[in-house]
Amino acid sequence: MNAHIRANLWLLGVTVLLCCVLYPLSLWAIGQSVFPHRATGSLVVEDGKTIGSTSIAQPFVGDEYFWPRPSAVSYNASGSGGSNYGASNPKLRARVAQTLGPIVKYAQSNRLVGKDIERWFQRDRFQGKPNIVAQWAEKYPFAAQDWVKADPLNGDYVRDWQTAHTEEVEMWREKNPEITDPKSDDLAVPFFDSFSRTFPGRWPGTVEDKAGRRIVPAMEDPAIQANFFEMWLQEHPDVKLEQVPADFVMASGSGLDPHITLKNAEYQLDRVADAWSKKTGGKPQDVRKTIAMLLQEKSTSPLGGWAGVELVNVLEVNRALRDREMFFRLREQGR
Amino acid sequence: MAVWFLPLLIVGTTILLSLPVGFYLAWIVDGRYRAPGWLRWLERRLDTGVQNWKQYALSLLLFNTLMFAFGFIVLAAQSSAPLNPDGKGMLAPTTIFNTVSSFLTNTNLQHYSGEVHLSYWSQIAFVVWNMFVSAAVGFCVLAAMTRGLRGDEHMGNFYLDMWRVVVYVFLPTSFFGGVILMAAGVPMTFDKAIEAFTLEPGAMGKDDKGDPKRQLIARGPVAAVLPIKHFGTNGGGFFGANSAHPYENPNAWTNYFECVSILIFPFSLVVMFGRLLGQMRQAAVIYGVMLSLFVTMIVWAVHFDTQQPNPALKGLPVDQGEMGNLEGKELRFGTSAGATFSAVTTAVTCGSVNCMHDSLNPLAGLTPLTGMWLNCVFGGKGVGLVNLLVYLIVGVFLAGLMVGRTPEYLGKKVEAREMKLAMLALLIHPILILGPTGLFAALSWGTEATSNPGPHGFSQILYEFSSASANNGSGFEGLSDTWGFNDTKPEPYHTRAWDIATGLVMLLGRFIPIVAPLALAGSLAAKKRTPFTSGTLRTDTLTFGFVLLGTILLVGALLFMPAAVLGPVAEHLGPIPF
Repeated sequence: MNAHIRANLWLLGVTVLLCCVLYPLSLWAIGQSVFPHRATGSLVVEDGKTIGSTSIAQPFVGDEYFWPRPSAVSYNASGSGGSNYGASNPKLRARVAQTLGPIVKYAQSNRLVGKDIERWFQRDRFQGKPNIVAQWAEKYPFAAQDWVKADPLNGDYVRDWQTAHTEEVEMWREKNPEITDPKSDDLAVPFFDSFSRTFPGRWPGTVEDKAGRRIVPAMEDPAIQANFFEMWLQEHPDVKLEQVPADFVMASGSGLDPHITLKNAEYQLDRVADAWSKKTGGKPQDVRKTIAMLLQEKSTSPLGGWAGVELVNVLEVNRALRDREMFFRLREQGR
Repeated sequence: MAVWFLPLLIVGTTILLSLPVGFYLAWIVDGRYRAPGWLRWLERRLDTGVQNWKQYALSLLLFNTLMFAFGFIVLAAQSSAPLNPDGKGMLAPTTIFNTVSSFLTNTNLQHYSGEVHLSYWSQIAFVVWNMFVSAAVGFCVLAAMTRGLRGDEHMGNFYLDMWRVVVYVFLPTSFFGGVILMAAGVPMTFDKAIEAFTLEPGAMGKDDKGDPKRQLIARGPVAAVLPIKHFGTNGGGFFGANSAHPYENPNAWTNYFECVSILIFPFSLVVMFGRLLGQMRQAAVIYGVMLSLFVTMIVWAVHFDTQQPNPALKGLPVDQGEMGNLEGKELRFGTSAGATFSAVTTAVTCGSVNCMHDSLNPLAGLTPLTGMWLNCVFGGKGVGLVNLLVYLIVGVFLAGLMVGRTPEYLGKKVEAREMKLAMLALLIHPILILGPTGLFAALSWGTEATSNPGPHGFSQILYEFSSASANNGSGFEGLSDTWGFNDTKPEPYHTRAWDIATGLVMLLGRFIPIVAPLALAGSLAAKKRTPFTSGTLRTDTLTFGFVLLGTILLVGALLFMPAAVLGPVAEHLGPIPF
């Protein structure tokens, strides 16, 4: 037995020394001296400020930038992960439809469908029945709950409703005895039901003016375009819509995928070129052409094209765009 | 074309490399390598003399007990240990139990999220160390079993085998792999997470004071974990997203390298087996059977995932034509990389992932599940081939019954005692998967932890226990089994049940299928070799290859078909979209 104990301890001691001290230290020494940029995370530093990493996706919201893929972790790189939605999970389809609503165009006219969704929404009828918002909340209870949780303002609005509508809340509680202490998001469905009957064809939209941020029943709101796109599509099965590249709406596995497909970038090109020509006063066709060339120049494909389609790194392309701002301007002045 | 190039390249490279590497492994395991003097001095400290199967198994269990104790102490000390620049707190006690069992058994099921819950101390002193030694344990079992089968009088020495595998195989390959990965963009730093101002200020939103939020980017000594994570078929990622994370897998070349490094030792071990026996034909039959199953798994996954759109988006104006189902996939690895990786990682029970298996198309999800159920398609380091040998003994027995001859393998009679041990090793796996799956599916422990409705929720439970019992470690990760002791969100009441149940399944699913085959080999070794005659049932022919394939498929299909039908198949047939 003593021999066993001695051998065990020797094995433990020596492997810890080799695997946990010598091995990582030698890798660290090589990394820091031979590949210092990559070994610290491929960071992009401008004027002493770290603005991100070319390996890690970061969000872009302005029209003048290309947008990355959706992220299940909101681009917070202190964590990582995918949506983990299976195909049969209604949340996957709902999320995609919400992304599509405000950006989808008709195939022929190149016009956004969003305004048509709003006009249809204002009529307050879905499949022949009134109270479209109530029907929506019934159909997508998780999306209704997400709305309540998305903004403290929304939660407060529901709480105010809760105190003003004790009867409706009481009726809901009788039907759902298992939830003893309902929070505001539990009450999302009865709230939207009540809202829909009080304000038919309206959505609780957010406005910001001198009186501060508050919620008003709105006829037009990006949230209407997002949330009611799928219901609108069901009633308009024959419309021809432009196909959106899949990676524009499908979330990546890490939530930090730094690339989009070249196709996706070209799909976004109109919006980006428009924004830059407005911003710089450059001629629209020229700006568009310059950006299209930039995309071609920056595109790469996996294993030299043997394994996949052409991609662009969103941060790199957007940096190049910003660096060419002066270029867009100068061309115009030189003309 | 592009769809099939990547899997072909991966499998082709691995097959080519497996011959020389297999020969090298046989040379090392047979002790024919003469190390420099100071290493031989250390070898002598470890050599307790030749062992029979009981002594070998005892040494193995003793060392694993030590691993458990050491791992527990290292993890529990996290909050007060050095190398913790981001100030990570302690893990929940049940999570520590689960994690220690998980890494000790080469499973690397993670009920924590690497960059959120572990400090660099735990990543190096716990994760890396366990990855080296737990991978070597399976390797040693195979070496010992092979010695028994070829008729050695003893089974070698466990401590010496461990030493040879860790120091002469894993350390040099991992060092080499680490340098390659760093050159490609995998970080290796002990600095803390970095706060980045984004290019477009305010794109992350505003904080309470109205200032633009910054992006916090976690990093660390990733390049030390990555090589051994794959060479040891461990699979526990540095980051929560595992090899889907850009810091773990920066581009298509690293993805290719990582796939080959997952496969290379499981492939080579079959060659080593033939070399050690001195009968390459025996190994060739096994290699062929494994390879045909493996290719089927890849083709199935690529066909149903890369070549089909995600059915959830039917009717929406989304162009899924070229790349198939992109939910949970990264773009930079190549079109079919996610589906291919899902087959690679579950065939050899690695458990590393480069796409989210939860979001695979329903039928494609059968590939990882089948890989874990069969658990012998090359299989984990050593233990995969051990499992296949158990199937082989059963196949020999069935064939022997059918033709009316005494079943024998390598000239040794297979009798009642051997069959009992084989059945024990074989049946423990389905019992450990299906039993707990049924229990959790019936209780709120399971139903409240699933994040997807209906059959997919059932698949999540089934996947978790399959992964635990097969010592794989991947997951349908939507399952809410992760909770950190210091998280701000409240503890879901079922995480402890998941921690303890999967912890126990991993331990039983590891050690019973290791000890029973060792006993089986010991029992065969003690028998007299019967002479080879024209009446002997040959196990090195194509015909026997089919018998073996049939045995694996029949036993596997009969055991798991009902569960597969309730999960992925029902989801596929179910109403999508709604």
